[in-house]
Amino acid sequence: MLFKIFFSFLKIGAFTIGGAYAMIPLIKKEVCEKQAWITEEDFLDGLAAAQSCPGPIAVNISIYTGFHVKGYPGLLMAVLGTILPSTISILLIAMLFHRYADQVLVRKAFSALRPAVVALIAVPLIDMARKSGLNQKNAWFPFTIALLVGALTVSPVYVILATIAFAVWEARR
Amino acid sequence: MIYLNMIFTFFKIGLFSFGGGYAILAMIQQEVVIKNAWLTEAEFVQIVAISQMTPGPIAINAATFIGYQKAGILGGLLCTLGVILPSLIIMLLITVSYLKLRKQRWFQMIFKRLRLLSVGLIAAALIMVLGHAVENAFAVIVFAACFIATWRFKLNPFTMLIISAVVGMIFGTA
Repeated sequence: MLFKIFFSFLKIGAFTIGGAYAMIPLIKKEVCEKQAWITEEDFLDGLAAAQSCPGPIAVNISIYTGFHVKGYPGLLMAVLGTILPSTISILLIAMLFHRYADQVLVRKAFSALRPAVVALIAVPLIDMARKSGLNQKNAWFPFTIALLVGALTVSPVYVILATIAFAVWEARR
Repeated sequence: MIYLNMIFTFFKIGLFSFGGGYAILAMIQQEVVIKNAWLTEAEFVQIVAISQMTPGPIAINAATFIGYQKAGILGGLLCTLGVILPSLIIMLLITVSYLKLRKQRWFQMIFKRLRLLSVGLIAAALIMVLGHAVENAFAVIVFAACFIATWRFKLNPFTMLIISAVVGMIFGTA
């Protein structure tokens, strides 16, 4: 059972490229349908919790599912499975990168990859703005945050703590 | 000493990364590029590109890569542990109590506000990388093409980056 948990999450970790939102449908299919470890309703509850909790969503959902299926050992196996492919592949790339970073071809590739990354960040910004309930009345808030953190390099730590404090105060009012 | 500092830094990154993926970038940038100067802005953009072409969450990829660069394999593993430790602790607590918590008004309010906040944080990451990544006419063309391809035509990030890398090898500047 523990090995099965490990291999399921290893598979998920190894074959999802491009972050948590690519992973979620795969995790759901594996744990709800294929292995039937958890009901879809329980999974969606866990997903909501995983998105609220700090840290990578993929790691959070594997913690939830692993624990749900087999307690602490299950949790450990699920987390290991999720992060191992990523850790190993990045370690290998980091080792090679050091040696090849100055090659002309690598530098030429990165001259196009750098602006491509900017586009990669810009597109989810539009999607997120739509899903977050952004309107004319509250647009000042993300705008101010972007300016504080992006231009004045204020640490996100302070704006997150201030936001949480403000939300609690707002709810109590 | 560098190990302790790195674990602590990545613990902090893990603890204050809400919203996943791109919202985490501003936090990593602040800690790794601005505060500790472990990476330059250009290296940071390279790591984001590499993370999106390899499996796994960006936060973990960045932690492993930076940890390895600064302190070898052990450094890479320790930073990875540091970044997931807050998740392990908080997610366990939430798993146990989430169903009760989510009915509370203050809890709902926090996440309503944090969702809006993560829009601001992604925009902040965008502002920070813009100047270092789009600096000549070639870069502007690549940016525009990638933007349209992913936004309008829903090209997935992996394919888009691979095509960009090939285009860069042929037409790019070293």
